[in-house]
Amino acid sequence: MASNQATPGRFPTLEILDPSTAHTFIQPAKRINEGPDVNAFLKTKAYRDIGIFVMQLNRAMCPRKVKDESGKEKTETFQIGSQYETQPVESVRKIQDLLAKLDSLIDEAPPDPGPRRFGNVSCRKWHQMVEERIPNLLREHVPESVLKFGSTPGSPTSAEDELTSYLLGSFGSAQRLDYGTGHELSFLAFIGCLWKLGAFSDGKADGDIERNIVLGIFEPYLRVVRRLILTYTLEPAGSHGVWGLDDHSFQPYIYGSAQLTRPITDDEPMPLEGSILRAPKPGNIVKAEIVDQERKRNMYFSAVGFINDVKTGPFWEHSPMLFDISGVRDGWGKINKGMIKMFNAEVLSKFPVVQHFTFGYLFSWDQDPDALEPQQSVHMANQPNVPISGNMPAPGGAVGMAAPWAQITSMPPPGAGVPYSRIPPNGRPTSRPGPPEPQPGPTGLPTTRAPWSK
Amino acid sequence: MSDLDKAIAQLRACRPIPEAQVRELCHKARELLIEEGNVVTVAAPVTAMTDTTTDMRRYPWPVPRSHGALSSWRRPPDTNYLFMGDFVDRGFYSLESFLLLLCLKVRYPDRMTLIRGNHESRQITTVYGFYDECVRKYGSANVWRYCCDVFDYLALGAIVLGASNTLSPPNEHIPSEDYAEADIEIEVCNADGDIMSRFQRRDNEQRSPNGASASTSAGGKTGPPGSGASGSSGGSTGNPTGAVLCVHGGLSPLIDTVDKIRLLDRKQEVPHEGAMCDLLWSDPDEIDGWGLSPRGAGFLFGADIVKVFNHRNDLSLIARAHQLVMEGFKEMFDASIVTVWSAPNYCYRCGNVAAVLELSEGGGGESIMARSNGDVGRSDGGMRGVMMESEGAPKNGPARRYRVFQAAPQDSRGMPAKKPVADYFL
Repeated sequence: MASNQATPGRFPTLEILDPSTAHTFIQPAKRINEGPDVNAFLKTKAYRDIGIFVMQLNRAMCPRKVKDESGKEKTETFQIGSQYETQPVESVRKIQDLLAKLDSLIDEAPPDPGPRRFGNVSCRKWHQMVEERIPNLLREHVPESVLKFGSTPGSPTSAEDELTSYLLGSFGSAQRLDYGTGHELSFLAFIGCLWKLGAFSDGKADGDIERNIVLGIFEPYLRVVRRLILTYTLEPAGSHGVWGLDDHSFQPYIYGSAQLTRPITDDEPMPLEGSILRAPKPGNIVKAEIVDQERKRNMYFSAVGFINDVKTGPFWEHSPMLFDISGVRDGWGKINKGMIKMFNAEVLSKFPVVQHFTFGYLFSWDQDPDALEPQQSVHMANQPNVPISGNMPAPGGAVGMAAPWAQITSMPPPGAGVPYSRIPPNGRPTSRPGPPEPQPGPTGLPTTRAPWSK
Repeated sequence: MSDLDKAIAQLRACRPIPEAQVRELCHKARELLIEEGNVVTVAAPVTAMTDTTTDMRRYPWPVPRSHGALSSWRRPPDTNYLFMGDFVDRGFYSLESFLLLLCLKVRYPDRMTLIRGNHESRQITTVYGFYDECVRKYGSANVWRYCCDVFDYLALGAIVLGASNTLSPPNEHIPSEDYAEADIEIEVCNADGDIMSRFQRRDNEQRSPNGASASTSAGGKTGPPGSGASGSSGGSTGNPTGAVLCVHGGLSPLIDTVDKIRLLDRKQEVPHEGAMCDLLWSDPDEIDGWGLSPRGAGFLFGADIVKVFNHRNDLSLIARAHQLVMEGFKEMFDASIVTVWSAPNYCYRCGNVAAVLELSEGGGGESIMARSNGDVGRSDGGMRGVMMESEGAPKNGPARRYRVFQAAPQDSRGMPAKKPVADYFL
């Protein structure tokens, strides 16, 4: 695609595949089964591609220095509700429509009024309807050239299968009735797949199409998710509670802080500090009335506004991470840089989150030959290395035998670690789901270099 | 005022105590806990609460700035307190909460019982906030380490003995005669002791033929009025009662008697599987037998499992924690198991009310003490089943009061200074 090649090499963009060559699509599957697998993940092409794509979207959201007809310099900003959302390019509008249809399915699965413990069981009905209708919805909203992209004749798996897998993983767990950053990551992969398949080739390169995607797809996606959370009271099961950035989301804090960063020209790199003129002060996130104004325009404030919608109590108490970050002195650019590092460490490098990520052809488990060795951090050093203990009796059987707990694990070293990850031991069915996904939290050190941190 | 009393006052105000004092406190607490069995015997009256991981100030009791019976802590408490795990993680003040409980344990060792929850673990606390909280408050992980060393010595369960068929009044304004007359099985009251609802003990005629309690088929809502309650506290038929087993999560396929819990080697990090893990992780569910848990640890277990276990162990009730319940408590399986949840508006967002469970002291011949399976070193194998009225029938529990409360109003304390941000933002 021409637009791709126009991008200066110093700002990498996600590769767009060549439709004229054959591609072997793979039904996406989980590959991260144990703690040490995270280390392998950080050297995969999938990890590289996620990084490139997030950085690409992030940089596009940074305000731009432009010259008007008279040659006078001015600043262009990119906001929620702007033409990027209201008049997006056709490909983006189609995905918007798709999201709107998923949203309207919530009306068809009203919350169950009956007794419940917490999360509303009607959410499962919604998931079921989505699963049933996704094949048709994708065919209606994604061109056939994308769904059947470069398929090998006779291949059992198509690009459509990969797209379906990531989209279905984007709205939380039907079983656990929860939602977290891992699901948000799955949606990013869905858009990333579309990108690789050339679905957004109707847009203008060098930022415009990326802004279409962030404001025209990602923010509307977050709205659907927020409605799901409110409608079905999705449990913050994997939450760090007050010690995470946010119970559910991470990416809006990245793109939202980029929106307020010091403006650049199209040739300049992302600033590492500074704010756009008249940006709301970071400290204003604790002021509800300012948040209510800014949330209409800005994704960071939109996310904070949703916290205010669902949480009661003093902000500094229920969201101390965001509160502390609001004291950063070097502007939104500094916050943006920190958010990206934190995303890398707390989302991409955390076993409980990425264990659910699936790998196919588009987001591949293949090792990236150029990958650097991930830096050994406290966190990485303490990924669980769970020994498989002796045979666990089948549930209901052999009650009261000699205790297998005695031979179980050695004590894990102190420091960051991850609970209860394991390959199902003998005697247990293999479909055992993993633990709930935790939200990002403040511990751990940034683990890798490229393409995240400078 | 002793150092300990000073620490209690300071922690009640949600102010951390110095690191050296934490170290000493944890050491003392560990010395006490090491002497306890895996299953601690607690005599009624008992007040049991769970999942105290959030803000201690939001508890009406027994914590700071709250309503009601807080004053009882200024003298030795007049009831036994049982805390059913999940002291830490997620809450802004989970460290202060846990340290306060340790102080009270050291101050009133016989009155305080703390049992272990699945969050009392190194692995879990590094993921779900407690580690971060300690580092943020002390600048190092030392305090986290001291606390984790205490976790390894916490008991795995408790057996409540001597709970009465009859409740004692919830406040001093109600004469106890009122309770002696009325055959109340379940009472729900608010934090001030105002009665919200009551459930009479059912007599045998009301039993449905299949032995299930009539309330199950009636399907009426039984939680606090006006709350859209899902608590299914239906009550059960009147017959003598058994002991109450308290455990954080639930049962294990590896454990068929309470005595088997006593044989576990508990002084270790919570294992990834096995009986000790299951006791802290499992959940009851509307299934037959055992099922896989979506949590990735422990099991789901059905009504049949609970009934067989209770019958075999002469238990009338299992009280457990571990799951958020909108109404603060939820009795299941013909009142053979109850989930108690004592964290109001969990994580500042869930909008749930909280509950503590109170069991009254048995007066005269009503006590269930004699029928308990206590840890007094005897095997009751020969006795088992002899006094059962009918094989498999749900045992009738002691009278239960659920004291339901909401999050305390926010205090007007000003915004604190911002702490240094995490490394990412430097």
